[in-house]
Amino acid sequence: MEITKVLPDDCISLIISLTSPRDACRMALLSHAFNSIADSNAVWQMFLPLDYIHIISNSSSPPSLLSLPKKDLYFTLCYHPILTHNGDMKFQLEKESGKKWYMVGTRALSIQWVDTPRHWTWISLPDSRFCRVAKLKNVGRLEIKGKVKLNTLSSNTNYEAYFVFKLVRDRYGFRHTPVELDVSIEGTAAGEVRSVILDPPRNMPQQAKERADGWLEIEMGEFFNGFEDDRTVEFSLREDHDDQPKRGLIVQGIELRPKHKHNR
Amino acid sequence: MKSYIWLQTVDGSIQQVEQEIAMFCPMICHEVIQKGMGSSKNYAISLPQQVNPAMLSLILDYCRFHQLPGRSNKERKSFDEKFIRMDTKRLCELTSAADSLQLKPLVDLTSRALARIIEGKAPEEIREIFHLPDDLTEEEKLEPLKNATDDPRIRLLNRLYAKKRKELKEREKLKVTGLLISMFQNVEVDEELVDDRSVDDLLSFINGDDGDSKGIKTSKSKKKNRRRKDLLKSTSAHEATKNHNKESNGLNSVCRSAEVGQILPGVGATTNLQDVEDDIFPNKNEFDDGDIDDEIDPTLKEKIDREVEDFARRLNSDWPERMQEILSLGQEKKPVHLSLNGKGS
Repeated sequence: MEITKVLPDDCISLIISLTSPRDACRMALLSHAFNSIADSNAVWQMFLPLDYIHIISNSSSPPSLLSLPKKDLYFTLCYHPILTHNGDMKFQLEKESGKKWYMVGTRALSIQWVDTPRHWTWISLPDSRFCRVAKLKNVGRLEIKGKVKLNTLSSNTNYEAYFVFKLVRDRYGFRHTPVELDVSIEGTAAGEVRSVILDPPRNMPQQAKERADGWLEIEMGEFFNGFEDDRTVEFSLREDHDDQPKRGLIVQGIELRPKHKHNR
Repeated sequence: MKSYIWLQTVDGSIQQVEQEIAMFCPMICHEVIQKGMGSSKNYAISLPQQVNPAMLSLILDYCRFHQLPGRSNKERKSFDEKFIRMDTKRLCELTSAADSLQLKPLVDLTSRALARIIEGKAPEEIREIFHLPDDLTEEEKLEPLKNATDDPRIRLLNRLYAKKRKELKEREKLKVTGLLISMFQNVEVDEELVDDRSVDDLLSFINGDDGDSKGIKTSKSKKKNRRRKDLLKSTSAHEATKNHNKESNGLNSVCRSAEVGQILPGVGATTNLQDVEDDIFPNKNEFDDGDIDDEIDPTLKEKIDREVEDFARRLNSDWPERMQEILSLGQEKKPVHLSLNGKGS
């Protein structure tokens, strides 16, 4: 019994679309019949987010992106993030699952004193997707906050939030003083507040990790986005205890990444 | 007074089924309402050919359970989990039958079960389960990947594939030089000079394996190139002792400059923006390690190839005298380990 003789194509499409993008790529290698089904728009449309048309139409990308075959569109969105929300957010797909992966850029965060040139400046860096990122000149108290509506993100997904930053050579205030990181869904009790040192001395463990794009990231917390939740998730980074001057931090944004399931 | 619907399966047999159960299938519903069929034996509804008596029986079991509105979600789920416990072949037939009757909930259920069976499996395993012919040529298997050149991993695959072809050619050259070198220097030549992976392996790496393995494999290919360079270096070292100083220096400098050539410029985009800080920690070079191998200046590569060939030829011409030398020396020394590509074909 050869399956393609038993099952009609659209049943096979359905079955493939219920596996994963990775499986679908593998299945294109099975046989001639499977090759065309596994690469078809019917399958790959199911891996794209439900509102992908809306996201792309309201982004800075050319609308011609929508005329790509769905499989190509899927991988384009995986490897080439697009700017959405007026250039304030960076969007891409998480390759294994097709889930939405956003970075909230500095322009969309509330940073205390960010528009006062004495405290922060806006600079352009070639390795940031955003036009401008914020660089800290001098503050005594540091407060960076952000929030995102849960229905912007993929439902039924665990997300991790990361603070994405850099430290320049001429910096101080972060070596011995920890900052407090917090992620919580509005209306719920605050989750655990993490206390981390952004710039530990060499003999101390480095909690921030280096990213492929050359920036550093440090985990702020996790949250679960259920179904049709119209609440907001809030993030904050704070150092407001010691009133010591701080300088030399460059903020790119807060990244919201679907959590890996670590199976197979 | 219960009403019944008359159904006829493809083998000709006719049966009557309680109305509320049969009507759970949209296709049957349509036949009854739109065409007025099914009310008597003579007007039995002809079911699609995918619905043989066995499949019909299963489908009716499903309908009988689910058409009762009083059931809880938990009960339904529990029933479904037990219901789909059947072999793959039956699952496929059931999917097909349910599809022909437009019974979407059952199609979804069986499709999900089939998806769970195939997810995570390698292509060969799936082919076995579904009795699929392996009728794509190797070229065809790589075809879609060649087009997606944006993916750095796919570029890597293309390069690996091209490299594999090249290495098969280079193998011949290296075999000669390697053999001869090992004889003179009593050195073990590393077996793994060639990437013997089949196309399927390369593909399942791209499609199946973790991203991490990519890192491992690129470092492997880098190692291979380094070994090749070591070979070249050792040939040049030997050359030096044989009054071919010019040649050896040539080879050495070629090796060195080839390595210099590997250090690619960093991401360094040009910036004419006023506020760019140059005390920012440098960016990690985002290029694949795999890039480095192929970015050697082609003229340098040709030069290396020519040197190797030259050397091989020279050794060949000196062969008879050297054989004498070896044989006389060989008495005292340990046997030379000569196996290249020790992995059996």
